[in-house]
Amino acid sequence: MATQPNDRNRVLTATAAAIFLVAIPLGVTDEYYLHVFVATLYFAYMASAWNIVCGYTGQLSLGHSALSGIGGYVSTLLLINAGLSPWIGMIVGAIGAAAVGVLVGWPCFRLRGPYFALTTIAFAEILRIWTENTEEIFGIELRGAQGLSVPLKGHAPLLFQFDGKLPYYFIILAMLTAVMAITWWMERSRTGFYLKAIRADQDAAEALGVNSTRYLLSAMAISSFLTALGGSFYAQYFRYINPERNMGLDFSIELALMGIVGGQGTVLGPVLGAFLLTPAGELTRATLGGKFPGLHIVIYGLVLILGMLFLPKGLIQPLRRLLGRKATASRSEETAA
Amino acid sequence: MDPIILGIAVVNGVILGGLYGAIAIGLSLIFGVMRVINFAHGSFLMIGLFIPYWLWQLFGINPYVSVLAAAPALFALGYAIQAVLIAPLYRRERAMVVEPVSALMLTAGAGLIMDNVTFMAFGPDFRGITLDFASKALWIGDVLNINYTRLAAFLVSLALTALLSLFLVRTDLGRAIRSTAQNRDAAALCGINVMRIYNVTFGLGCAVLGVVGCLMIPFYPVSPSIGLAFGVRSFITVVLGGIGSIPGCILGGLVLGIVESVAAQFVTATSASIFSFMIFILVLFFRPTGLLGMKV
Repeated sequence: MATQPNDRNRVLTATAAAIFLVAIPLGVTDEYYLHVFVATLYFAYMASAWNIVCGYTGQLSLGHSALSGIGGYVSTLLLINAGLSPWIGMIVGAIGAAAVGVLVGWPCFRLRGPYFALTTIAFAEILRIWTENTEEIFGIELRGAQGLSVPLKGHAPLLFQFDGKLPYYFIILAMLTAVMAITWWMERSRTGFYLKAIRADQDAAEALGVNSTRYLLSAMAISSFLTALGGSFYAQYFRYINPERNMGLDFSIELALMGIVGGQGTVLGPVLGAFLLTPAGELTRATLGGKFPGLHIVIYGLVLILGMLFLPKGLIQPLRRLLGRKATASRSEETAA
Repeated sequence: MDPIILGIAVVNGVILGGLYGAIAIGLSLIFGVMRVINFAHGSFLMIGLFIPYWLWQLFGINPYVSVLAAAPALFALGYAIQAVLIAPLYRRERAMVVEPVSALMLTAGAGLIMDNVTFMAFGPDFRGITLDFASKALWIGDVLNINYTRLAAFLVSLALTALLSLFLVRTDLGRAIRSTAQNRDAAALCGINVMRIYNVTFGLGCAVLGVVGCLMIPFYPVSPSIGLAFGVRSFITVVLGGIGSIPGCILGGLVLGIVESVAAQFVTATSASIFSFMIFILVLFFRPTGLLGMKV
């Protein structure tokens, strides 16, 4: 009963946001601004995928860039060497990344302490360094630090290549909607409750019969799968990937930053973080990047510190309180009338 | 494989490993006492290398003398970062249990700022210094030689570790640090100012990097981006040796150094890091407490 007006508000807000996002390309015709929107949705998608394991279980991964790199490299290598469409290649890469994610998570989740965070960092860094220094393996060209270019096929929807940015915009919008739906569903499922219990107190959850390793690993597998899909999208959109950008620690920190600043462990938090930080980052890079390279990362660092110190639960928290108060106010008005 | 070449690789690995161990001590100490992973660890080392570099460039001060400036400077920097950035987290949590993720992200933010401010100030170039005796080496037989600067770094690293262990066992401050690590509430009840101990511990962990930086700069050129690689190596070293164990750090460092050095004889030096990661994963599977660690 009491949640009814709140739910109605939510549905209304979600519908409004969806209509707004679908309509954006009608108003924004400038290629650069459309690109900023694609980048924002892409980061919102990646931060949401990160959030599934890190936000909900409290196990911090700073190695998600490696999973995205696996996705991008697998789909691109399959396209170059086997002529396989990236639509199929991205699924292959995602399955591979899920397997890798489970393999990295498995020894760590049995332990308490910072093992998972340390292992993901070490894993991602070593994969990056290895890729940067490997020109060729088993006859497959990796091209080391130079990176891979996706061969241009013109307008070929079956090969995940389109003229202009518009189709990419709608693809990443659909992917973001899907990951939010998955998160929303997970939050309300048995798995979600188990994950929250594990996050609050792993020992207590286990004492109540929750197989914590199993649920942590399934969260990790889903998150890795989705992250790798995002990596393949990145490769097809930019048509170029390299180890530094696609596997580097900076990228992992960026994802964690968006999730944390927005509000980890919520459906909307990471999206909010991405919508705030991506345009801000693009803007600083475009205006100040030439004069002060590295300045935008200093600003990210400051935002991260301030966020951790003053808004530990993310921006979503004060926002929600504001909306909640409004909802309560309107409800009490209704009762008064 | 030629046993002589293998022998040389092992000796080089030991020398390198001692240094890796000394670099990781601070990380292990800070984690052991505060349960905080200092993500900016490598960045502190980077600053620890830049201080003797600039003292040499601007004033011609020998890097081994610069220890007197670099160690206190790094102590102050670490003390300040703990007191200003991390301490509020403890004050917020009534039970004094800091969510490890928050502290890790805070130090990650500090590391990003340190790396990129240095990058903006000095640019991306690698900078090194040349001492007269840096090219001289200790010859053992006809084939094996150890560069004097590296040998000095190795020996001082071992001495530093022994000194720090002695300090923790024998002095009042050391005992206060260890008791805080064991049980912070009980330590507070005994009249120990826990927050001050945290500041001092963080400062000490960073001061070690000031010493190590002065030892390394004669043979290791510095650039603003080197922090991360050393940070990752330190994480691996600490987990190998056992989180919180100081002799474990040296052992973990030696294992890492020997593996990297021997593997580099078979594959390129960069691909050799794959092997250290494999050992890391194996240790996590079969002996998660590390080689010398107590129970988690």
